[in-house]
Amino acid sequence: MSLDRYGWLGRLAAAVPDDALVMSTYIGAVSFEWSALTSEHPRTAHLGQMGDVIGLAVGLALALPHRTVVCLDGDGSVLMELGQLVVMGQEAPDNLVVFVVDNEVYESIGSGEKGPRPTATAGTTDLAAMARAAGVPHAVTVQTAEELDREIDAAFFEGGCRFVDVRTEPGFAKVPPRQLDGFEDKYRFVRYVEHLEGIQILRLARQDRQLMERSDR
Amino acid sequence: MRDEAAAQALAGLREAGIDFVSGLPDGWQRNLHELVEADPDIRYVPVCNEGVGFSVCAGAWLGGRKSALIMENSGLRVASEYIARISLGAGVPVVLLLSYRGDVGETEHWGIPHGIVVEPLLRALRIPYLVVRNVEDLKISIVRAFRISEAQLHPAAVLISGDCVWEDR
Repeated sequence: MSLDRYGWLGRLAAAVPDDALVMSTYIGAVSFEWSALTSEHPRTAHLGQMGDVIGLAVGLALALPHRTVVCLDGDGSVLMELGQLVVMGQEAPDNLVVFVVDNEVYESIGSGEKGPRPTATAGTTDLAAMARAAGVPHAVTVQTAEELDREIDAAFFEGGCRFVDVRTEPGFAKVPPRQLDGFEDKYRFVRYVEHLEGIQILRLARQDRQLMERSDR
Repeated sequence: MRDEAAAQALAGLREAGIDFVSGLPDGWQRNLHELVEADPDIRYVPVCNEGVGFSVCAGAWLGGRKSALIMENSGLRVASEYIARISLGAGVPVVLLLSYRGDVGETEHWGIPHGIVVEPLLRALRIPYLVVRNVEDLKISIVRAFRISEAQLHPAAVLISGDCVWEDR
């Protein structure tokens, strides 16, 4: 059994707390669908790509330990850099939950006559088992809406470091493609974090700062 | 590296305001990893792969930390995929402290390829760098690398070699 992606992403989007941050894959339609479901809210950084989404989310979660961080990744991306599971298990941030869109195929590259190209999760690889073996305290595979809802509730009401591999039907919704590049995404997200946390991340150039400090008006 | 060099490197990280360090220990910078891990003002995250370390550092920067990645220069090859995706693609600064294995004076045959690749690879990734061979230059070089990384929102590197690692005079 597996879940319709746009449907389950919608359930997750509705449940993510307003003051949480989201590190999402930039790859393909997951990003487009998440943007459509969240009205492209700047609490989500679409900065992750193949093999670095969980690593980015671990760093973000460690930098802001009081803030819930949701990570949205794909099976192909997790598989590309399994060392991310090691650091996730090692640090086990209490404020981090990873949801993996596991559709068992490399969907964003398109399909040929033989259909989509399979990932290793279509065969023998069990990502949740690998996460558990790397030390992630709670790592499960979900296949039904009921199981997913239980994990979403647990993530946002109980907390704890969690990895949820969501078995997902291939296919994507017809939503508008995103128009932002990585730079604009970064600025949007960082400015949002600055506002949310009351901190300064992007620093004013020193010469400019000194000039303003000399002003006597 | 020599203990006085490790102490200067830590002083440079602290003066720059670096408060988040990831890395994979190597034979030269092992003692620096130990100093950083013991520093109460720096969050230290050891990794088993320099690419993961770069991603973690970049994520921490997005959350307001000032980050550095400590590794052998061979690790730059591993991290380059994520440096390209994250920093060339979005503009995220991380200071890189690299052991310059394969520099003139190298004693190990396996270090030679690391030396051949590292500077061309840094240039390919548009990462400005300083090669530091004197202990007294190490602290200020790290501070300067941090300054340009924040100004350009892209990594800057310090390659560590010479008298910082060898006692051969």
